[in-house]
Amino acid sequence: MSSADVEARPREGHPDIEARLREPWSDLETDHATAFARQRAGATFGIWIFLASEVLFFGALFLTYTAARLANQEAFAAAGRETNIVYGTLNTAILLTSSLTMAVASQAAEKGLFRRLTLGCLAATAALGLAFLVVKGFEYREDIEKHLVPGAHFALAQAPAQIFFAFYWLVTVVHAIHLSIGIGLVTRLIAKGRRDPDFLKENPQVEVTALYWHLVDLVWVFLYPMLYLPGRSG
Amino acid sequence: MSTTASPTGLADPDELDLRLPVSYLADGHSVRSWLLTTDHKRIAILYAVTITLFFFIGGAAATLVRLELATPEADVLRADTYNKLFTLHGVVMVWFFLIPSIPNTLGNFLVPLMIGARDVAYPKLNLISWYLNVGGGSLAVAALLLGGVDTGWTFYVPYSTVFSNTWVSLTVLGVFTTGFSSIATGVNFIATIHLLRAPGMTWFRLPLFVWAMYTTSLMFVLATPVLAVTLLLVVAERTFGLPIFDPARGGDPVLFQHLFWFYSHPAVYIMVLPAMGVVSELITCFSRRKVFGYTFMVYALVAIAVIGFFTWGHHMFTSGMSPYAALVFSFLSFVVAVPSAIKVFNWTGTLYRGQVGFESPILYALGFVGLFTLGGLTGLFLASIPIDVHVQDTYFVVAHFHYIMVGASVSAYFGGLHFWWPKITGRTYPETWARFAAILMFFGFNLTFFPQFIAGYLGMPRRYHVYPPEFQIWNVLSSAGAAVLAVAYLMPLGYLTWSLLFGERATNNPWDATGLEWRTSSPPPRQNFFGSPRVQGGPYNYHPEGVAPIHDQPRLPSQGSLT
Amino acid sequence: MSTGHETPSDLWRRNLPVWVALMALLALSAWAAYWPFGRIDTAVGFAVAGVKAALVALVFMQLRHASGLVRVVAACGLFWAAILFTLTLADVLSRMVNR
Repeated sequence: MSSADVEARPREGHPDIEARLREPWSDLETDHATAFARQRAGATFGIWIFLASEVLFFGALFLTYTAARLANQEAFAAAGRETNIVYGTLNTAILLTSSLTMAVASQAAEKGLFRRLTLGCLAATAALGLAFLVVKGFEYREDIEKHLVPGAHFALAQAPAQIFFAFYWLVTVVHAIHLSIGIGLVTRLIAKGRRDPDFLKENPQVEVTALYWHLVDLVWVFLYPMLYLPGRSG
Repeated sequence: MSTTASPTGLADPDELDLRLPVSYLADGHSVRSWLLTTDHKRIAILYAVTITLFFFIGGAAATLVRLELATPEADVLRADTYNKLFTLHGVVMVWFFLIPSIPNTLGNFLVPLMIGARDVAYPKLNLISWYLNVGGGSLAVAALLLGGVDTGWTFYVPYSTVFSNTWVSLTVLGVFTTGFSSIATGVNFIATIHLLRAPGMTWFRLPLFVWAMYTTSLMFVLATPVLAVTLLLVVAERTFGLPIFDPARGGDPVLFQHLFWFYSHPAVYIMVLPAMGVVSELITCFSRRKVFGYTFMVYALVAIAVIGFFTWGHHMFTSGMSPYAALVFSFLSFVVAVPSAIKVFNWTGTLYRGQVGFESPILYALGFVGLFTLGGLTGLFLASIPIDVHVQDTYFVVAHFHYIMVGASVSAYFGGLHFWWPKITGRTYPETWARFAAILMFFGFNLTFFPQFIAGYLGMPRRYHVYPPEFQIWNVLSSAGAAVLAVAYLMPLGYLTWSLLFGERATNNPWDATGLEWRTSSPPPRQNFFGSPRVQGGPYNYHPEGVAPIHDQPRLPSQGSLT
Repeated sequence: MSTGHETPSDLWRRNLPVWVALMALLALSAWAAYWPFGRIDTAVGFAVAGVKAALVALVFMQLRHASGLVRVVAACGLFWAAILFTLTLADVLSRMVNR
């Protein structure tokens, strides 16, 4: 862990450190403070391994898009023009802002000093996540009205445009599921943090949730040029 | 502390009251204490039970397939039943037996013990991974009971998305779910090995089995998500009509194969690297020698894990892939043979001038080396494009991958199971029976699969329930071998169960082996060790540095007592 | 970085400029999509996405201050995704040229 973490490491004799130590870290042959620092490092390391796995998950999805787009460039440009760039840009801004609040919440919790700031930022993050889903819902309604669902009544003439929208529906739904899990995790932190004043302080769960949240945001950062920007100049 | 004797008679704490903590087996007897356990050793047992179940489900399907192939005509099964049976066999054996076999049973049990830790880094995640595995397995078995799947274990599009009228989506969801169990295990092992090694246990003091688990976990984490996406795309196309791969709408079915094999080729290494780890432990212990070239064994494991990701295209030479890409993939596939060969030479080097004993675990390990060499060399035939074009989709391919996945991996699994059985259960098994089963398994295996090399080279295609009569001789041999193999697989089920009830108590280190797992009681307590292990030297210290093993080294009586 | 005596405004001072940059980049990529240059627009769109991702990863996800181990893990994810892309696209592109 970084120097910041070592400095933020709780002092020996801190009453609640022992309560927060878990198996197998509690059995380590060190004092509680060092064991807790290792538990924190372990949580960060574990979630990063999972994020690397997620990179491959979304990487494979992006690869199917790339291969299909390379083979069907005109159809993808035509299909890209049909998505709603206003909703798309708005949602990108919402998610990037939620990443800001999440980052501040995580850093505030890590310092262990600003409980109200942490709680407020977590609440803002969850609210922005919900706002994203609401905007997405409006967008889905418009897409369905415009017959942009692949199948017999598809709006566009080029057949490969259906592949674009197959990808669009699949990847936005998978992203929305990831985001919903993120909202659930953030809400859980808020609920526990309100009940127990010491819960959020230096708790590795905040950082783990934050890292997951940022990854979901990063996925959308790449989906934005894939789904909303093709074919705008044509 | 439990004061009553356990129902199975295992690890009875009253028998020898040394004021020691109770063993992990005696630490709670309720169903709840098993199903909600976070003890890595109990989770290993849970996995062992489920994979044994799946092994016999998959084995039953294979038995029916071999029965049908005894004659050229269709006598036992109709074509579609046959298709469903070989699909069932493949799906169950690959994802519900082989992938979790060594990592989740022996790996779960041994990794914390071997590195001197109390448990894995995330014990709850470990339990969740078992439930994901059971959940996925239940979906796949449900699909079987509802009517089965006929796509083959590879689920190739467009057949699986557009044409097949069987329970593809349910099976695919089962495999998808169990994929997350693999990822959870991978994350857990990587973090455990990085963060929880005992003081003094440096990276180059780790037993090779731990290195094998580490490299396997890398592949779990980095390959499995791609399989998850691939299967998700199949479900999306079948269930929601989202045409990603549909050639009628400009999609590319070859792309499915790229994604599928990006996972499924490393998956072969997920099956064989753990086996290599087990065999390294067995060979060094039973030849009473330090493993030959320890550091190169480590580099070879890492090299196989990394290069294994660059070779997937050799499954697709005849699929319409670009010939330039095929050349690259062919070259890269030859490259991965180098570290595999290093390992075979180093095992041989370890055995050379060793005091080789012939207890049952080493018999399995020697079988592994032979079968792996044959399977690996025929793999080089298949990496060469002209030969691959000739034998693609024939029994030559079937024989090749069974030599690696069954011959090598399953032999190593049984070898490891026998080697660590006294540690896991605290009981010894009847050694004579075990040796007989090991030898029978080797001969049964070769009788089953060697004739398939010949039939395949002569042109017999795979996945048909009827065949031209000139291939009958090879198929009769193969089916006869399958019967022998079935007996060899059932025997351990019998005598190992017997040993649980009536076997002698095992000593703490019955094989006189090195390694931290032998420095605790058999079976170990919940906390794994009495006190805190500290490591002061490298692994496999079977003889002093720079000295050849003494030729009249006495074999310890504890080893003799196993017979 | 300062230690325990940080105030909330320090946190905002560190993170807000990144957010402003992200918003500016978002505006740039939305605008660039309408430039009449064809493929360059696409390249700008993905380059901007890459820069945004780097900002989020380095500052918000604190990769800048992370341990070497965590950085290696992050790099591994990208490296393996690169293997997947390179070898698959090697086939897809060379087939397109031949067609």
